[in-house]
Amino acid sequence: MGKEELTAQETALYDRQIRIWGVDAQRRLSKSHILVAGMTGTIVEFCKNIVLAGIGSVVLLDDRLVTREALSVNFLVPNDEEKLKGRSLAEVCCNSLKDFNSMVHVSVEKGDLSALDGEILDKFDAVVIGRASFATKKTIDGICRKRSKKIAFFTVDCRDSCGEIFVDLQNYVYNQKKNDDNVECQFHYPSLEEAVAVPWNRLPKNVTKLYFAMRVIERFEAAEGRIPGETTAADISSVQQLRGELCKANSINESRIPDELLKRLLEGTREHPPVCAIVGGILGQEVIKALSGKGNPLKNFFFFDAKDGKGIIEDISSL
Amino acid sequence: MDRIEVSNLNRQFLFRLQDVGKPKAEVAAMRVMERVSGVNIVPHFCRIEDKNIEFYGDFNIIALGLDSIEARSYINSVACSFLEYDSDDKPCEETIKPMVDGGTEGFKGHARVILPGITPCFECTIWLFPPQVKFPLCTLAETPRTAAHCIEYAHLIKWNEVHGGKSFDADDPEHMQWVYSEALKRAELFGISGVTYSLTQGVVKNIIPAIASTNAIISAACALEALKIATGFSKSLSNYLTYNGAEGLHTKVTEFWKDNDCLVCGPGVLIEVDSTTSLQKFIDLLREHPTLPISKPSMVHRGKNLYMQAPPILEEMTRSNLQLPLFDLMGRIPKDVIHVTGTVTLNDRKTSALRKLRIVFKGNVDGVADMDMAGGA
Repeated sequence: MGKEELTAQETALYDRQIRIWGVDAQRRLSKSHILVAGMTGTIVEFCKNIVLAGIGSVVLLDDRLVTREALSVNFLVPNDEEKLKGRSLAEVCCNSLKDFNSMVHVSVEKGDLSALDGEILDKFDAVVIGRASFATKKTIDGICRKRSKKIAFFTVDCRDSCGEIFVDLQNYVYNQKKNDDNVECQFHYPSLEEAVAVPWNRLPKNVTKLYFAMRVIERFEAAEGRIPGETTAADISSVQQLRGELCKANSINESRIPDELLKRLLEGTREHPPVCAIVGGILGQEVIKALSGKGNPLKNFFFFDAKDGKGIIEDISSL
Repeated sequence: MDRIEVSNLNRQFLFRLQDVGKPKAEVAAMRVMERVSGVNIVPHFCRIEDKNIEFYGDFNIIALGLDSIEARSYINSVACSFLEYDSDDKPCEETIKPMVDGGTEGFKGHARVILPGITPCFECTIWLFPPQVKFPLCTLAETPRTAAHCIEYAHLIKWNEVHGGKSFDADDPEHMQWVYSEALKRAELFGISGVTYSLTQGVVKNIIPAIASTNAIISAACALEALKIATGFSKSLSNYLTYNGAEGLHTKVTEFWKDNDCLVCGPGVLIEVDSTTSLQKFIDLLREHPTLPISKPSMVHRGKNLYMQAPPILEEMTRSNLQLPLFDLMGRIPKDVIHVTGTVTLNDRKTSALRKLRIVFKGNVDGVADMDMAGGA
């Protein structure tokens, strides 16, 4: 970290990827520091990808104790009772993650995500949040946008066999290859707060149902003071009512958000490992692009549904 | 049948530095069984062609992470060989051997589901592949334009000129260094830039660049499809997923159609054979066949070896069959399917293949002698 040339060890290990994104990008990656909060199945897949890629450092934040359920979706949690006793998810995952690449610095930050301030966040080039309350996500994104240093912000959430990624790169300038020329392109990303505030009737008619369904569940969890992800099938009637209110306020038809999809997301609170790997893979690539400055970044939502295997990108902004 | 190398470790996360040199199958099996209780994985450290057909027949699903067209083509022909058609030319469901295939290169990848007889098999869509890169000899010898041309000149032409009979070893750093310096000299001569040691290795060894995230996406898509087939919990991918993360992010699912005339997953190449034709004559016919052709064949009829090219003991045991009529060897029935493994030419290269042949006999098949066939043969 902070060195100029790649070592012989790095060149040998990273050979196959340097052939893709070049030595400069690899160097930039090795100088990047990331904060990851909420060790869900998808988040650990993501961590695996960036650690293998040779990121500078990763800080993990998740004080929750390890549960049996974690074993079925989180492959960084070892199948060994002794190693798990009284340890937090972050600690357990940190130990396993170190194994994947000795050149990456992996550590744990204790405490609550919502308690982090600008000074702490300044240590990072990117913040990636797994499941958290909308209020927390909004707050952290807001802090990132106010810092003089550029901090990229990502959220990811997988429910049942669906997944959603949100990206905020603020004002992002990058070089795009257009017919042998290098053209400078600029993207203006809305904040999370701005994005979800875009009135639904102003969005293109073919925006995926998943976007709206996730927003309804998000609002429901906030209104009920639920821990994110703690919903059940019994919530459907309250959620249907909320859907009605939101659709009326946004002037769209309720049929745009089918009951069947809402039920799936309410019941399927446990993640589906292959979906975690797919979405964690896409997220890994987006973070690598943002930190290395190479490649067209995703703007600004990505959705995946295992039922049809389709990946959908939606640009939710008022511009 | 690969062993672990350092350059694998940037993505093949079941392996650690201390595993370098060990067989991939064995280490992968061990690591997964350590973590997931109740799962049983049996590693086989060998080539895919080393296993006989019955071995593959034992499995319900075949998942592929192969690295060449030839390897995929071979397994595809094996899986499709189990397929039987009924009298209405419809595939018999219980003979369908599902396959899930994935592959990646850099930011691109694909995942597909193959249900022989229903979806296109690998051979049905072989036209999807662009022609493989092969530089014309005159370009290498007379008019190089790129760094790769210079490297291949040193590798394919200059090496033999200078080293006579000594074969080139891509894993020998001294050999690689020699090719690199010769390529540099040639590049200088022609004013071409870009020859580096890294590029030299890449061109000579045909290195495919690879990263962890693309592999995660594609392997997970394959795992998802295998889970769907095993449990029926959801509709299968129909039937070909492509992912491209190079310029932005692009994914697409395409439904390709089966080729009804496919040599591999179709009902089989129809061959009319005279009832007096010997097995040896039949083998000669196969070599010259207009649509097949296949050479050095080993043939099996309903589990019975008609003729085996290898191993030597089986060859010896079946050699006497060569003189006998195929009709007799197949139990004197008017028509049936046989499976043939041999050598075919694919993309200008010789490779192993398995083909299904529908044999229909003409001549003395019903016990009634043909008018022209006095005395029989």
